[in-house]
Amino acid sequence: MTRSAALLGLVGGVTLIAVAYVGVFATGTASPWMTWVYMIGTSTTMLAMMVLGAVRGTGGIRRLLMPFAAIYMLLIVGFSAVLLMPPESAESNLWLGLPPRTAIVLYGIGILPLLLLPLAYAFTFDSMALSEADLARVGELRRLREATRVAVEDAP
Amino acid sequence: MTVSRAMALLQTAELPPLTQPVIVAVAVAYFAIVATIGMWATRRTRTASDFFVAGQGIGLWPLAIAAMSATLSGFAFIGGPGLVYQIGIGAVFIILPVSLTNAMGAWVLGKRMRLLAEVRTMITVPDAIGARYDSPFAQGLAAIAILIAVIGYMATNMLALGLVIDAIFDTGLGAGIWIGMLITLAYSVSGGILAGVYTDVFQGSLMALASVLVFVYVLEIGGGMGGMSRTILASDALFLGPWGKLSPLAALSFFFVFGLGSLGQPHVIHKFYMLKDPRRLKWYPLIMTSALFVTLLLYVGVGLVVKALVARGELAPLASPDDATPTFLLRFTPVFLSALVFSGVAAAIMSTVNSFMSISAAALTHDLPVALGRRVTNELLWGRISTIVISVAAALVAQASGTLVAFLGIFGWGLFASTLVPALAVGLNWEGATRAGAIASIATGIVVTLLSETLAYFKVYSFPTGVTVSGLSLVASLLVFFIVSWLTRSTASATLPPDVRVVMEI
Repeated sequence: MTRSAALLGLVGGVTLIAVAYVGVFATGTASPWMTWVYMIGTSTTMLAMMVLGAVRGTGGIRRLLMPFAAIYMLLIVGFSAVLLMPPESAESNLWLGLPPRTAIVLYGIGILPLLLLPLAYAFTFDSMALSEADLARVGELRRLREATRVAVEDAP
Repeated sequence: MTVSRAMALLQTAELPPLTQPVIVAVAVAYFAIVATIGMWATRRTRTASDFFVAGQGIGLWPLAIAAMSATLSGFAFIGGPGLVYQIGIGAVFIILPVSLTNAMGAWVLGKRMRLLAEVRTMITVPDAIGARYDSPFAQGLAAIAILIAVIGYMATNMLALGLVIDAIFDTGLGAGIWIGMLITLAYSVSGGILAGVYTDVFQGSLMALASVLVFVYVLEIGGGMGGMSRTILASDALFLGPWGKLSPLAALSFFFVFGLGSLGQPHVIHKFYMLKDPRRLKWYPLIMTSALFVTLLLYVGVGLVVKALVARGELAPLASPDDATPTFLLRFTPVFLSALVFSGVAAAIMSTVNSFMSISAAALTHDLPVALGRRVTNELLWGRISTIVISVAAALVAQASGTLVAFLGIFGWGLFASTLVPALAVGLNWEGATRAGAIASIATGIVVTLLSETLAYFKVYSFPTGVTVSGLSLVASLLVFFIVSWLTRSTASATLPPDVRVVMEI
């Protein structure tokens, strides 16, 4: 179910980006709606790719649901805010030394996931990515393959 | 032109003369350390597995730092800050996805590629494609795409290395290219990727240290982030806007191509095979992301501070954007730090070139013969010979003409992304992917990238503002992959070997 949703998200995201490109080629310029479509397509594609990689078999993403949801919201809300907020001027307020829209891009989209995703990966690694049991299963597979190869080579 | 230069991660402008005793001494010391590591690694390289995948014996920290070094070319230190100075915050969209890409790479590829190397002999990235689809043809096609991209990429990097060596030692550009190539070749051909990884660790540490120190000077001289922002906003508010001087679509296109496209960079993902213990992948994203973040502080900081200094009248406008880093270092930081950064630039370029040497030699001696149903009997010997041949070819291209290098250089990232992301990154995570889908997507990536870049470069066709060829070809190859896989879905399970299926289930 989760895998299918991730695949659907991936195909949908890539299709949105393609639609934006078609729009730009058709009109010769990037109108605001194309930028919005491209932004949603890119954010969805990136998230769907991560979910597709994280999901195991027919299982879900369990403890990764919240980090992934947070990242998706961060991308969509962050880029939306940047597209909607007024442009910078000499009198703009500064957020941590940067104009607000730029601060959202650099600190929000550029730095927040940098802490969240690697930690989410590490703290779910044993239960969701690779356990000792998984390694044992792969080891058994390797021994089986090796034995088959030796048997084939030894055959008269 | 600015956008295509950025997509190519090009660094082809001359640097100002750097022939100062301290800079020369630090550069000589740097090359001596690299040579020593190369000699040490040579004694430990006995098999093709040692040569191409370091005998699967690399620890987590060396792996992460080496992957970081291979990711960053000289562009991160010279061309990147220059691009920030030129187009403002929009240039940051090239590195912005770093916050996502390393964890994404670990989820999508890290575990599966490393486990594939547990159950089968894996030397190259196309090996994984060949195994996934049980298709030597797909493996060979991926190898051809890699070879096309690598020659151009290596040529641009060798040109950049020649420029740095010429600036430091006053050798002349031609001699600089060959000296740089020979030094990199010396440790690559003898010590293979093992030498590459451990020199990368040294080089990556140097790059990170230099970047942090320079950023401290950036904040001090610029008056902090707030001081720089106030100055720039007063003179050029658009520069400091979130998109800089790019259109929003162009900036987002960078985010897409350098984000998703990171999953198709063979010189980086190839390193997953080398990890000694697969369970150590747990901390890979954290180490790699932190190392990249620290090393990229210079990229953002120098571009902004030079813009602020020019706005304040403390610096004259630069003749070339690529002068941003050398000008700032030589004017505002101690000479020893300048020396460290210029050695760091050489380090960044050499680590990237070394990785390219390794993957292209492997494509030539391993993947193409496999595609043709043959095996090279002595892969170690032929790997070394191929490394020399490819390096000489790339150096000749680098010397040929700036136009040719610039043309070939723009293929790199986009060609890797459009040919490898669908077949490898999606294919290793989707059982419904088919052999036909993989072959069609790789072919689409090659054709769309080469055709579009050629048309754009020779001005036969002008793409609308904001449309990048790399983004276009990546989208096209992904769509073709999904459509052809869906049309041939009845063959999906037949092209998925049982051991690969287990690796994909885990």
